[in-house]
Amino acid sequence: MKFAPSLFDVRNLFFTRQDNEILKSVSFTIPPGEYCAIIGPNGGGKTTLVRLLLGLEKPSSGTIHLFGTPQSKFSEWNRIGYVPQRSVLVDAAFPATVREVVAMGRYALRGLFGFESPEDKEAIEEAMALMGVSDLSNRLIGHLSGGQRQRVMIARALSSRPEVLIVDEPNTGVDIESQHRFYELLRHLNRTKSVSILFITHDIGVIAEDIHRVLFVNQTLLVSQNPHEMIRCDEMSRLYGNPSHVVCHNH
Amino acid sequence: MIEMLSYPFMQRAFVAGLMIAVLASLSGSFIVLRRYSLLSETLAHVSLVGVSVGLLVGLSPLWMAVATSLAAAWLIEYLRSSRGLYSDSILAIFLSGSLALAIVIISLSGSFNASLFSYLFGSILSVSNDDLITMGIFGSLSMALLILFFKELYFIAFDEEVARTSGLRVTLLNFMLVSIIAVIIALSIRIVGTLLIGALMVIPPVAAIRFGMGFFKTTLLSIAIALVSVVIGLSVSFFFSLPSGAAIVLCLLGIFIVALVLN
Repeated sequence: MKFAPSLFDVRNLFFTRQDNEILKSVSFTIPPGEYCAIIGPNGGGKTTLVRLLLGLEKPSSGTIHLFGTPQSKFSEWNRIGYVPQRSVLVDAAFPATVREVVAMGRYALRGLFGFESPEDKEAIEEAMALMGVSDLSNRLIGHLSGGQRQRVMIARALSSRPEVLIVDEPNTGVDIESQHRFYELLRHLNRTKSVSILFITHDIGVIAEDIHRVLFVNQTLLVSQNPHEMIRCDEMSRLYGNPSHVVCHNH
Repeated sequence: MIEMLSYPFMQRAFVAGLMIAVLASLSGSFIVLRRYSLLSETLAHVSLVGVSVGLLVGLSPLWMAVATSLAAAWLIEYLRSSRGLYSDSILAIFLSGSLALAIVIISLSGSFNASLFSYLFGSILSVSNDDLITMGIFGSLSMALLILFFKELYFIAFDEEVARTSGLRVTLLNFMLVSIIAVIIALSIRIVGTLLIGALMVIPPVAAIRFGMGFFKTTLLSIAIALVSVVIGLSVSFFFSLPSGAAIVLCLLGIFIVALVLN
């Protein structure tokens, strides 16, 4: 019997920047198919952890395996889609249409002389349709609302047909209705498209019903496979170090 | 017009100018979008160091300009990407430092003359057949790389971090881009001059962006603006005996103002 390798397998990870220990002794495994929330106080190391997973930072020590492969030898980056923090804050004058932005997600797959293949076209159209931005195809990205830009950025991440989507607090400058639609989309991707989700958020209440696992990051890491227990008020208060109150809501 | 093109020196000037127009505006699109426009100005000043060394020791100023621009481009990119220094600060240091060095070398060599003036502001009389061959070789190579990696460079200009996480070799591509820009600037000094080449790289894409189109169409418009400016600028230079670089840049400015008013 063959088991699918973990998406992420992190062992004893340390990260230090200018003598400040940002992360220490972090270990966790995320199996395929999970919807996982990363929470923790500001400056606790959430974004750093994601940047380490993506190879944007080098760990001080420890190991990271992506899909069973050591990160240093990993080359199939199209299997991971990434929507960074503040990705919606695009320069209004940037000359890029929605389709051009979504197509960027396919560039690494196209190779040196790569023109857009029928498969590329199909993946781009599919990602735009899934995110409901097909009708914006020829609009400039800088002319869209925050919610529309957010969907375009996710469409770009999805156009490489990733197995896991990493989303880093993407709701800056996005209205409530668009945020609600965004959470619905993540749920849809996880449940019907089998895309694993790794989601950094401050608002765990809104996705409490969807998540399978919570990683609480505050220099060290606490993993809970029972998120409903973890987001109890007393537990959250203990983790954040001050009285915390979790409200499960749909905005 | 026909009479103008019957002169071999004007034929050479037009071939070189049109080649430089395409290369400068195409590569300029990427640095403008990355808010790195001052790079062209800085490398142009650095290339003046190469020219002055060439005049001092009797080597080809063009080749020396290529060598010094390349070395400076790599050092600037290394300091920006690996040492975490602010890009605008690095560029300011290189810009003023290289100009100071060039002035000292030129003073030592006693080369404050008409030849130096043509390197500073461009001259349609100065393009030789050897220059055209050098431009042809390096220009073709630069053009091939820009076309081959067009989409990757565009992605990096839009979002360097996500481009890196998608598997693109961003560091290598960044070094490639600054190398291409260094070479194009060095090749341009005969026609546009070291003090004015920055305008040929920056103004066409900035004017084209005003029309609010996607990147591919913006790039084509940017190239068209550069080509028109070079044709008009060289013609004006011929008929009114003006430095070609200044004529080209004034034409670019005129188009930019029109783009600004229209949009």
